[in-house]
Amino acid sequence: MVGLSLGETHFIQGGIAQDLRCDGRKRLTYRPISVETGVIPQTNGSARVRMGATDVIASVKAELGKPSLLQPDKGKVSIYIDCSSTAEPAFEGRGGDELAAELSNALQHCLLGGKSGEGAGIDLSSLIVVEGKICWDLYIDGLVVSSDGNLLDALGAAIKAALSNTGIPRVEVAAGTSNDEHPEVDVSDEEFLQFDTSRVPVIVTLTKVGRHYIVDATSEEESQMSSGVSISVNRQGHICGITKRGGVGLDPSIILDMISVAKHVSEQLINKLDSEIASAEADEES
Amino acid sequence: MEYVSPEGLRLDGRRPMEMRQIRAEIGAVSKADGSAIFEMGNTKVIAAVYGPREVQNRSQQISSHALVRCEYCMANFSTGDRMRKSKGDRRSTEISLVIRQTMEACILTHLLPRSQIDIYVQVLQADGGTRSACINAATLALADAGIPMRDLVTSCSAGYLNSTPLLDLNYVEDSAGGPDVTLGILPKLDKVTLLQMDSKLPIDILENVMQLAIEGCKAIANYIREILLANTKQLEYRRGV
Repeated sequence: MVGLSLGETHFIQGGIAQDLRCDGRKRLTYRPISVETGVIPQTNGSARVRMGATDVIASVKAELGKPSLLQPDKGKVSIYIDCSSTAEPAFEGRGGDELAAELSNALQHCLLGGKSGEGAGIDLSSLIVVEGKICWDLYIDGLVVSSDGNLLDALGAAIKAALSNTGIPRVEVAAGTSNDEHPEVDVSDEEFLQFDTSRVPVIVTLTKVGRHYIVDATSEEESQMSSGVSISVNRQGHICGITKRGGVGLDPSIILDMISVAKHVSEQLINKLDSEIASAEADEES
Repeated sequence: MEYVSPEGLRLDGRRPMEMRQIRAEIGAVSKADGSAIFEMGNTKVIAAVYGPREVQNRSQQISSHALVRCEYCMANFSTGDRMRKSKGDRRSTEISLVIRQTMEACILTHLLPRSQIDIYVQVLQADGGTRSACINAATLALADAGIPMRDLVTSCSAGYLNSTPLLDLNYVEDSAGGPDVTLGILPKLDKVTLLQMDSKLPIDILENVMQLAIEGCKAIANYIREILLANTKQLEYRRGV
């Protein structure tokens, strides 16, 4: 990406100060969001989300595995993010690894909750097949196909849509098996369980440019940012995770203000996203 | 195992000389100079082209023609069993080289001296015929970027199972252990730019299988030309010409 000139820099910052961005949006307005589900038929669930020119794909794969020793009554979920070179030539080879790791960690904190599993958007107990022996492992993979800023919000939305699209096969445990031996399981080809995604949060990223902060920053606006805060909010209005980016420090009162603004913005985003997911699922069924 | 039934139908219901459904979309990545999505059945590939632009690594610059670089990558979720591997494994490197050489043969590199053209190919879903789909996607992306080319490059695979030549193998047929021929041609110039084959095959049957793959390549070329023509008409409409 070619750097911005001084005039462009002033134009962007001046526009944000006057609540009129380069593409005509206000400070707290998202770009148009479109959701498509079932884009990768080989996975258990998948979704593609476009926010303006940012384009991401998320998929969910479920495999049977062994529960962790620390939590034998809970399944496991992990998130991996990959930055495709198609998004930006700088991502060639290992160029995208650093950003991918940063996004992975942020999403892990925002969506999966603490180590105990509390606050996770997914009820991990529902992933147990046989306690201590067999559970479902969910692998959530995100792929950045096109990058024009605000990857974290787009990935969060895509993961929520992919989980809503996910079907996990029903598993029958063979009766009469000795308690000590490894149980035999029969994975159904026809019956699928669906997730309750009402508790999965959305991520709102507020980017500070000059003396104001904006949501859904484009690449150019992100290049002018001093710092950013990503706040994960669920439908009940609870904060599920906070991540700060950028090197410049923030005044604590500004952070609290950002959190309340994010909570307000997330209401519209959740409603918009839920309706988009519902219509995408309806489109897929027809 | 039986791959062709006595009635002449394959596992997925196709005839031996029938291709999987092809679908293509131009302009999938808005920030790239050219981009395309190409689907062959369940194989889904996205390609992006950046360039011609300044050479990033000065030591690689060529004074008489353009430097063509290519990177091929598979998404973690693209195969039936999930895999976790980094870029640059042996298979990815080999396919990157194959795509680069194939594209170099058709790009008029002498018109763009001291510049660099980057082709990035990402596999979203793999179900056999991946490198053919990658080459087709890259061709569409190069055309979308307006890079001067001698001809479109199209690619198709063919195989030989149960004493029957088969066109456009899917994953199950590819895994059957029979011969697999991947062919890339310049359809109007009628030249072969890519030919790869594994397993054993008598030479007279190889000719039949190659001929079948050539027919497949030409069919794909017709489809790609239709897509590009429709795209051009759309652009013409938007410009109000």
